[in-house]
Amino acid sequence: MRRWRERMAALAVAIALVGVSACGVRGAGAGGDRLVFATGQTPQCLDPQVSPQDIVATIDRNIFDSLVVFTRDGRFEPWLATRWDISADGLRYTFHLRPGVRFHDGTPLDAAAVAATLDHAVAPETKSQYAAGLIDAYDRSEVVGPTEIRIHLKRPSAPFLQALSTAYLGIQSPKSLRENKGALCGKPVGSGPFSFRRWSKNSAIELDRNPDYDWGPSTAAHTGPALVPGLTIRLISENASRFGALTSGQVDVIDQVPPANVPSLKRFDALRYSRAESPGIVSAVMFNPVRGVLADEQVRRAVLRAIDVDGLVRSVHFGQFDRAWSPLGPTTPGYARGLEGTWPHDPAAAGALLDAAGWTGRDARGYRTRDGVRLVLRWPYAATYQSSMVTTAQGVQAELKKVGIQLDYTGVDTGTFGELLETGDLDMFATSFIRADPDILNFFLESGKTRDNGGGNVFAQRHPELDRLLLAGHTELDPLARADLYAASQRYVVDHALILPLWVPAALVGYTDRVRGLASDPVGFPLFYDVDLRGRA
Amino acid sequence: MTAEPTARARSGFRPALWLAYLVLALVVLAAVWPSLVATHPPDAIDLGAPVAGPSPAHLFGTDVLGRDTFSRVVHGARWSLVIGLGATSLALVVGALLGVLSASGPRLLDEAIGRATDILLAFPGLLLALLVVAVLGPGALNATIAIGCSTVPGFVRLARGQALVVRESGYVRAAVVLGHSPARIHARHVLPNAVPPLLVFATVTAGTAIISGSALSFLGLGPKAPTPEWGAMLADGRDFLDTAWALAVFPGLAVTATVVAVNVVGADLRRRFEGSPADGN
Amino acid sequence: MRGVARRVALTLFVVWGAATAAFLALHLMPGDPVLTMLGDALPPADRVARIRAELGLDQPLAEQYLAYLGRLVRGDLGRSYQLEAPVASVLGEQVGATAALALSGFGLALVVSVPLALATAGRRPALRRFVTTLELVAISTPSFWIGVLLLSLLSFRLRWFPVAGGDGVPGLVLPAVTLAIGLTGVFSQVLRDGVERALREPFVLSARARGSSEAAVRRAHALRHAAIPLLTLSGWTIGTLLSGAVVVETVFTRQGLGRVLATAIAARDMPVVTGIVVLAAAVFAVLNLVVDLLYQVADPRLAGRASPRPEGVPR
Repeated sequence: MRRWRERMAALAVAIALVGVSACGVRGAGAGGDRLVFATGQTPQCLDPQVSPQDIVATIDRNIFDSLVVFTRDGRFEPWLATRWDISADGLRYTFHLRPGVRFHDGTPLDAAAVAATLDHAVAPETKSQYAAGLIDAYDRSEVVGPTEIRIHLKRPSAPFLQALSTAYLGIQSPKSLRENKGALCGKPVGSGPFSFRRWSKNSAIELDRNPDYDWGPSTAAHTGPALVPGLTIRLISENASRFGALTSGQVDVIDQVPPANVPSLKRFDALRYSRAESPGIVSAVMFNPVRGVLADEQVRRAVLRAIDVDGLVRSVHFGQFDRAWSPLGPTTPGYARGLEGTWPHDPAAAGALLDAAGWTGRDARGYRTRDGVRLVLRWPYAATYQSSMVTTAQGVQAELKKVGIQLDYTGVDTGTFGELLETGDLDMFATSFIRADPDILNFFLESGKTRDNGGGNVFAQRHPELDRLLLAGHTELDPLARADLYAASQRYVVDHALILPLWVPAALVGYTDRVRGLASDPVGFPLFYDVDLRGRA
Repeated sequence: MTAEPTARARSGFRPALWLAYLVLALVVLAAVWPSLVATHPPDAIDLGAPVAGPSPAHLFGTDVLGRDTFSRVVHGARWSLVIGLGATSLALVVGALLGVLSASGPRLLDEAIGRATDILLAFPGLLLALLVVAVLGPGALNATIAIGCSTVPGFVRLARGQALVVRESGYVRAAVVLGHSPARIHARHVLPNAVPPLLVFATVTAGTAIISGSALSFLGLGPKAPTPEWGAMLADGRDFLDTAWALAVFPGLAVTATVVAVNVVGADLRRRFEGSPADGN
Repeated sequence: MRGVARRVALTLFVVWGAATAAFLALHLMPGDPVLTMLGDALPPADRVARIRAELGLDQPLAEQYLAYLGRLVRGDLGRSYQLEAPVASVLGEQVGATAALALSGFGLALVVSVPLALATAGRRPALRRFVTTLELVAISTPSFWIGVLLLSLLSFRLRWFPVAGGDGVPGLVLPAVTLAIGLTGVFSQVLRDGVERALREPFVLSARARGSSEAAVRRAHALRHAAIPLLTLSGWTIGTLLSGAVVVETVFTRQGLGRVLATAIAARDMPVVTGIVVLAAAVFAVLNLVVDLLYQVADPRLAGRASPRPEGVPR
């Protein structure tokens, strides 16, 4: 009998020990004045030249500096490069580097470091999913002197400086590129205001202040090292939990405030909220105009008119996001405002278009048929990540059912999804791409930008008229002429219903009133260099 | 796992038992003929009324697309029963066949089935179901198969033991003496007599299987959207915990009420057909 | 002793079988693992071929299997497609959080169910009926719903507990309670059954005759006997804790093996899935072995079932 009691006592002690040790693993963010930022996204690789993820750009912006900085009013100002010249033919960019800059591992910044980063971006073994495409005009780097580098392009590229200003082309330590080969995803070494310390998978990433930092961009509010001693990035993918972590004061800043929670966030006195619309491709559905039922332009146009995009977007996003009229967001340079209101919800018009396309029969379940075949659209998606698109798609499904179209919205794993994209054996897929330049349209629609060439033209669609506009837009250096070319491109895309634009994504950032100096970059990603934390009341 | 009604409650009129039968009857009705009970089609959206609380028009409120939660819960009954009872039936049939085969087949086969069962039993709880779903991918049918797989080892063990007992019984010996073929003996005598205890065991596992099915759906591994599965509805409702409590309450209530009813009715059936309460554990 | 050797051999066999099943799962999976690994970015065919060669996926299945077993023996569980890290180190990072959750859930269930069972076994009919009803509901309620309700009420509305992360004791309370509720229902039932059975045994009568108080009889004699059926449940308990962790960690966005597993399944990150499953099977098999051996030590009657000992003789 005593043995039993002893065992119980031992168990109680064991439980207590577990509790105590759980106390011991309390995050470093709880104690000092480190800024705790919770993100809903799960970063996969912190090598900026590999990942296309928004969250990687947001995190890496703290670790890596770029040659130039892109201002909110669309100009370029010095950062790691103090000045630069562009040859008249637009093929040679010569940068003069700032002296005295050191990477976190002590290596000094020089022309060879810049060359190493750019070469790393385009090297096939890097498996770059985005950065290489951003500078696909890049030919080679020429080290002119220790602090002077000349970049040669294969062809003129209007968005080249903008590309260099993104965190995706942040300059890496050449020593780290050499020594951490194959492990760069988990060991980012740059020259930024924070240095990488630790990444606990699925939990948190810890960055420490770089005490030597003295080369912030001209757009920053202060000079010298960052104001907080460190940055803890907590990975909380669950929407309600991330929001709850903010309201309970567990974290200082969150991204992706769930739209449903914005009204309650505004009711908290101690909470602040910022909203920045993202430029680039809006949250949209790409159609397959090459084969299947959507090869018929009338069916594509019918789909656009059949859906109450306004009601759907308002409902799913609680009025926090605007519906989109163009494949590009309104804050993208060259946005075609003239497209707004040009394709309103009109189920009757959709029905007429489907009739004209020959889908006149009806089966027992009320779906349209042609020659006895039901009108079915296949929209597979990679079910890895929960997103608001899943909800929106169910709305699209219900709306299309009303006009007699069956939509099969099917979750598959990423491998199967990749195979479907490779074979083009699908009718539509969802996409969105944040980018402060209209040439993101080229990435998805230019006939040369097929997957084989590292582009996003999955269906290898070819529209000679659109190609002409897109190629001219890519090389045109005059901003006004360029805007006209891209406006015409957007009109072409909507007129021929190549894309179903749904909503304009926006960075919804929530933070406590302790946080001072939180800014965002031109695409809406939060910037932490200027942030200061007021003491807890 | 199941709960036994208390000793005192085992005789006389028991309102709780009647309530359980009533709940189960309602769930079956909702599963077989949902449109009779539901007030709206389960996938009809109403963009004018998203995330509303309960009202006379929408008894359980609406979700983010303005769909009627009550109607979705009603239509969800079918999926819970299909996955839970489907998995149990699958496990019962496969378990009975393998168990009888194991008991009556060659020693090598018995050994092979026995060791395979050992290995399956090494994947605790839901883990085997999760592994199977990871291979087959999400979906209602795959979830059913997955849960069936994780339930089958218990049935195999039980069926084997039962078949051994039956084989030694007088009437089977008599059939052997009469010169009936082994196949006929197994079809006519061993299998039918091994099945009743398996049915009793099935009443024990059915509730667990329903919970497992909705757990898989909750994790996003069940039937695809917009299927109104209870676990999946709860998962969707999590985003609105501080705005719309109804979305997080009613689907869960439906699962719990169904499983309580299945467990109580299962215990009652065991009592009736066995004469004594089966050991639920 | 031969029995022990046989049990150990069987455990090793089962772990090998689980690893083999996991290997087969990895290779039966539809969809190209290399494409899965690279995400939805569609790489050129030559790169796919190179990665396939790097991973040994172009070798004959038998060779891959042997290589897999070899790595497993050395503790190498492969590399995660999604997390870009060795599976072993991912699991190492996560196992602590899950162990803390499982142990606290288990401890909580035990601490609650023992007094419940003692207080209601064979007496207080009204309380007993109430408690058995509670047990029925606890067993029949899915843990993810309990979690969602607790989160909704205690974290979002009343703000008593943090809503996210697994930091410290406050963050552990609700997940542990969620995990414990179903277990408590079962433990309390089994313990009460055991106590009630034991109270009918002659040794209890003799203890009462010696003048022991009712409470002492229950605690000292009956509970000890009731603990044995609980021990037979250990396999079920471990399984419930491990699979409960998958759901509970997901609901509470806690760090841990369960959440990593759930994410990995959705992403078809098979090395992680198989790594966790093999680890769980191994832990499960070894714990079962230990419990079995302990059990034989605790109650030698069960060792060979050869030497029945008269009931009521205190050990």
